[in-house]
Formats: sequence, structure tokens, C-alpha cells
Amino acid sequence: MKEVAVIGAGMTLFRRHLKETGKELSFLATKMAMEDSGLEKDDIDMVVMGSAPDAFDGIHMKGENLIDGSAAVGKPYVRVFNGGGTGVFAPIAGWWHVASGVADICLVVCEEKMGNCYPHPQTAFRHIWDPILDRPLTPNLVWLFAMEMNRYMTVHGIKKEDIALVSVKNKRNAVGHPCAQLADPNITVEDVLNSEIMAWPVNRLDISPPSDGAAALIFCNRDIVHKFTDDPIYVAGTGWSIDSTMWTNRDLYFPRYVAQAAKMAYKMAKIENPRKEIDFAEPYDPFSYKELHHLEGLLLCKKGEAPILTREGVTQRDGDLPVCPSGGLLGVGNPIAATMGQKVCELYWQLKGVAGKRQIPGDPRIGVAQAWGDIMQMGTVILLRRG
Amino acid sequence: MVKKKEYKEWPPYAPGTHVHESDISEKKITFTWWEPEVQYSWSLGPAMSKFLMGLKEGKIYGIHCKRCKRIIVPPRMFCEYCFGPTEEWVELPDTGIIETFSISYLDPDARRIEEPILVGVVDLDGTPPHHGFMTYFGEMTKDEIKIGMRVKAVWKPENEREGSITDIKYFKPLKGGED
Amino acid sequence: MGFLEKQTDPTSPMHWRGDMQADYFYPSGIAGDKFFKHLMKNDTFLACKCSKCSKVYCPPRLYCEDCFEEIPDSNWKEVPPVGTIRLFTVARLNAHGKNLVTPKVVAFIDIGSTNSAILGIINTNDFNKDFTNAKVKAILRSKDKREGTLKDIVYWEEV
Repeated sequence: MKEVAVIGAGMTLFRRHLKETGKELSFLATKMAMEDSGLEKDDIDMVVMGSAPDAFDGIHMKGENLIDGSAAVGKPYVRVFNGGGTGVFAPIAGWWHVASGVADICLVVCEEKMGNCYPHPQTAFRHIWDPILDRPLTPNLVWLFAMEMNRYMTVHGIKKEDIALVSVKNKRNAVGHPCAQLADPNITVEDVLNSEIMAWPVNRLDISPPSDGAAALIFCNRDIVHKFTDDPIYVAGTGWSIDSTMWTNRDLYFPRYVAQAAKMAYKMAKIENPRKEIDFAEPYDPFSYKELHHLEGLLLCKKGEAPILTREGVTQRDGDLPVCPSGGLLGVGNPIAATMGQKVCELYWQLKGVAGKRQIPGDPRIGVAQAWGDIMQMGTVILLRRG
Repeated sequence: MVKKKEYKEWPPYAPGTHVHESDISEKKITFTWWEPEVQYSWSLGPAMSKFLMGLKEGKIYGIHCKRCKRIIVPPRMFCEYCFGPTEEWVELPDTGIIETFSISYLDPDARRIEEPILVGVVDLDGTPPHHGFMTYFGEMTKDEIKIGMRVKAVWKPENEREGSITDIKYFKPLKGGED
Repeated sequence: MGFLEKQTDPTSPMHWRGDMQADYFYPSGIAGDKFFKHLMKNDTFLACKCSKCSKVYCPPRLYCEDCFEEIPDSNWKEVPPVGTIRLFTVARLNAHGKNLVTPKVVAFIDIGSTNSAILGIINTNDFNKDFTNAKVKAILRSKDKREGTLKDIVYWEEV
């Protein structure tokens, strides 16, 4: 297996509606990644596209539709998708293209246009439910997260105030991100708790927005990375795992599929004590409680301990374990697959020391990003390290 | 290859053009509108067919995986953990405990409602912990509903049942002395 | 039992009917918006040319898909809405497999002076004719009724 480095990253603005077509968004993100690496279309060997349900963009086979904006015309190309897990799974797929030796340089592009689904992408989300057991009950997707959040809070005795701290931290962190959709330098816990209640215990400010956006990453073989940089950022480990779709047959308080993916990634990276050896984390935070849920799934703290770390400021940018220094999904936006931008691209920018106002102090050397998808099923984990 | 761009901060800019809802409703940008018509007919398979026919009769069927020693509901033809065929139908009681719930102020079309809907997962008696299905809860207030509460199914009258998960209207609190 | 049971009743397993409920709004994009807005006010198309490979796109694009370079505004120009039919077919069934009252001639039209083609409906009463290489012109909606979508081209007619 070859060692793989990241040599370029890019992302677009994230907003509820962007004027660009999916192809144009893919082009803009890819162009930025190419500016970063100095590559042109012909330098790229293979392309991986990550994009979540066709039902958002409203274009069947949208992987094929997005090809020309992803510099993929005339190249080996594959689209990967596992719902929300795609933001980290697409880079994993890019990694294995290079690690296997079939490509020296692999471009990964992730794109999403949730705004195309009218009147709201919830309409497409309705079709994620089992048509026979769940849909006749006409459920709303917020119900599902509310049920998981309730289980998590009840098993560990967590108060909503502690969970609201995550929204506050991430929306404030997002102020330093040029692409951010919902950055708010002044948001407080009271704002979150007083925001409109959607499905208890979920309030409006506990939820990340649907977004349009795209992101791109370029991977290359270690043997040629010296052409691009003398301070390479490597992929230290990858892991992915999926649990059963029968979500009513599991205890939702702990994401065991994230733990399985994390163990796989940590083993590859030779990490034995994640809490001590990992410098910062970008777990998937589509809802405020999910950051905590996933921190525990990533084995970065004990079960039930994540809210305590948050309350004590450990997960702030200047804390001992910065979490979501990018602003996460809550602050920057949630264009499903394109969240690769504020998850994996952020790891790369932080490790290179170019994250500007978002930069973590000190000398971070290893970061972990995680995404989560489908019906509480998919865990995808990637670790990047400097040098 | 070309020369790299050496920006000090990344991302150096945010490409993309924001459009507001008003730009769309006032047609300030051009767009194409499409209303797809897609119909589906999903095969239920033998396990789900029997489960739904059971609901029509006012019964909840689970199925036994002997290898994993668990009664699975909703039933399926094979067990996804040991990947072996399931055997033996088991009629389950229509009682259980609340595994988790939500108090929703959004109706199924995401419109706001005054009186919340109580929805959640019931962990059925006769199955391993955390095994059940999604359902509504009723005859309890939002302040009374609790994880761990014992509940019992309230069925639609026999002539209204169709062989659907909605043949169970909701689960209500199970008071002491009831079966 | 379960998986190993024999199925002897043809009405079981049952089926469950349902549909996909979603409507879609597709913005034309940066390049597409310019093209359709121009078409709303003028009776010509816009096309654009890649500086590197000289390929001319109509409808125009933000970037050249082969060179992966952005195409600057200065490379855009007007072209007349005329073309030559490269391929065509006569559709006699609708999307649900029922006979159309009037057949539809659907053609792939190379737009003159560009390297691009567009799909269009040909207005004709002769459904046995060979339209290959026929010269055609786009017939547009009256300006006050144009909406900024492909339907502003009502159909194409032979010249």
C-alpha cells in the first residue's frame, strides 16, 4: 500500500440557494484545488465524485451529469455515495485510488444542490424512510434525530444547556470562514434554547441548514509529493463501517458504527491513545448533540463525557482538544457531501497552518475528521498528519 | 502543471453566487421547473407480508433467529447479524416500553402545529432490549411521556384495518392491572 | 419456516404502492442565465469560445470541459438561431407507452458556426421524410411570452 499525501483543496460558498448549476459549482471548487497544487486537467489521473441522493439536485445519475465540471471528461471516474458519510467517504475513495497504486494523482470532488428540491429538501428526505414500516406514519426527518437525541440525553442525564453550547461554539467559530452560511459572533445558549422548538428536544438553532456547495481535494502518491511541497500532509488512516438499517432494533445512545470505523482508522495510523495523540477533530455535526455523540463514537472521550469537555472549554479552538474549529456544519452549512470542505479540507488547512482566523494555536500534527450518514448507519473516519 | 497560487489564508475566497428566495419568486434569475411523476409498487416479501396481514388480524408477529437467540420485529427472512435464515413465527404481546420518543411541533409536512404529536419507538415485550418499531403515542401528555414507560397498543377497529403499520393507532400508557 | 417456507398463495407476498413527492427548481446557472436572459430579449443565441482549444459552445458554458479553463465574457458572441439536423427520430409513443395522436419528430441539431448541438422538436406534417442534413431555424415564442427556459424555442422549422 502506498503512502498518500494531500496536495490541494478548494471549496465554494455555502448558501441555501446558489445561482450556479451543479457542474459550475464542481468547477469552481476544483479550480481552487488546482490553484493550490499548480495542477491542470491533464495532470490528473483519476477522479472520484461524491454526491448524496440524486433526489436533492433532481437529476437522475447526477454523478454522470457532474463529470465535465469535475475535470473528469475522458478519465477513469467513479461516483461514491453513502448519504451524509460521503463527505469523508469520497476522500477515502480518493485515497484508495492512490494507495493501491492505480493512480498517482486522484482528484476528489464533492457537490450538492439541496436547494433544487422544492419547497424544501425535507421532501426528498421523506423518501429515506422505509416505505412500508415508517412512511405510512408520515414521519418528518427531524423526528428521527429528536428520538436519538432524547435517548442520548436520557441515558447519560445530559441537559439541553450543555448541548446548546455546541451550537454556540460552532456558529462563533464559523465567523472566521469565508464560505460560512450561519456564522454568528454573538449567539448565546439562551438564543439556542429560546429558538423555535421543532420536535422536542430539538430546537431550530440545534440544526444545520440545507445548503448548496462543492468542495475538492487532490491526493498524490508519496513518491512524487516533493514536486508540490516540502511540507507534505499525509493520510495517516482511514476507516469506514455501516450498521443495520433497522434502526428501531438498536440502542441509539452510542454510534457503534463510528467506533468501528474509528478503530479501523486508528489501527492504520498506529494510534493507541486517541485522546492524547490526536490534536484536533472535525466530527460531523448536523445537529448540536451529534458533535458530542460522535466525539464519544470517535473514542476521544468516555461515553457521556463529551458534554463535560464542552462545558469545560476543552473543545474550544484554544482548548486542549479543539473540535470543529472550522465552524462545522452548524456554522458553515450542510451541503451533505460537500461538507468535505469544512471537514477534510479543514484538516489539511489547519495542518498547513493556513486556516487564517480559524487557525488552532500551537503546532497541530494530527487531525481526525468524521462523517455520518443514512439512517443512523454509516461512520466514515479519516486522519491526516503533518510529515 | 502551472505555478501554484500562494495565498496566505485558505480558502482564499468563496466562489459562488448567493440567490435569495425573493430572487426566485420575483424571477430575477431564470430557471426550469419540473414536477416529476414517479409511482412505485414495492414488493413486501414473505416476511413483511405476514407481518402486515398479522396487523390486520390485530396481531404482532416477530420471527425467531435461533443462532442469535433473538426474536426479531419487524420480522425479516434472514438475520442481518449472522446472515442466516430466520425460522419460526412468534406472536408477540402488544405491550412494551417506550425506547425513545419526540414531542413534535411539526406535522408531517413540516408545518407548525399547536398540539404536539408524540412519536417514538416502542421496545416490544418478548424481544431482546431495544427491538421494536416506530409508532405514535397517545392518551398521555407531553409532560407525562417518559423513556421506560410501559405501554399497550390501541388498535383500529377490525373493519378499518388494512394490513398496514397504521392499523395500530398508537400506544397508550399501560396501567397496573391491565393485561 | 420464515425464509425456508414454501409460498403457495399467489396473493401473498403483497405489494405496497407509493410515489415520490418532490418538485424541482433548476437554476440555469451563471452561463445559462445569461443565455436565457439574452434570448428573452433577442432573437439570437449566445455562444462562447474557449481561448485554448477554440471549441465554440452553444448554449454557452462557464468553462471548457476539455481544457478545464474558465471562458471569459469577452469570448462570448451572438449567433443566429439556425442549424443543420445531424440525427432525428420520429416518436410515435408517449412516455407511458400510449400512441401519440400526432407523431413527434425529435432531432439533434448542430448549431451553425459552433461546435455544439441541441435537442429540438421539428415542426412538420411529413413523418416519413428523411430530415438528415436539413437546414432548420428556431421558431421562438413571442417576446412578451418568453420565460427564460428552453421552451422559449417553440420548435424548429426547415428553411
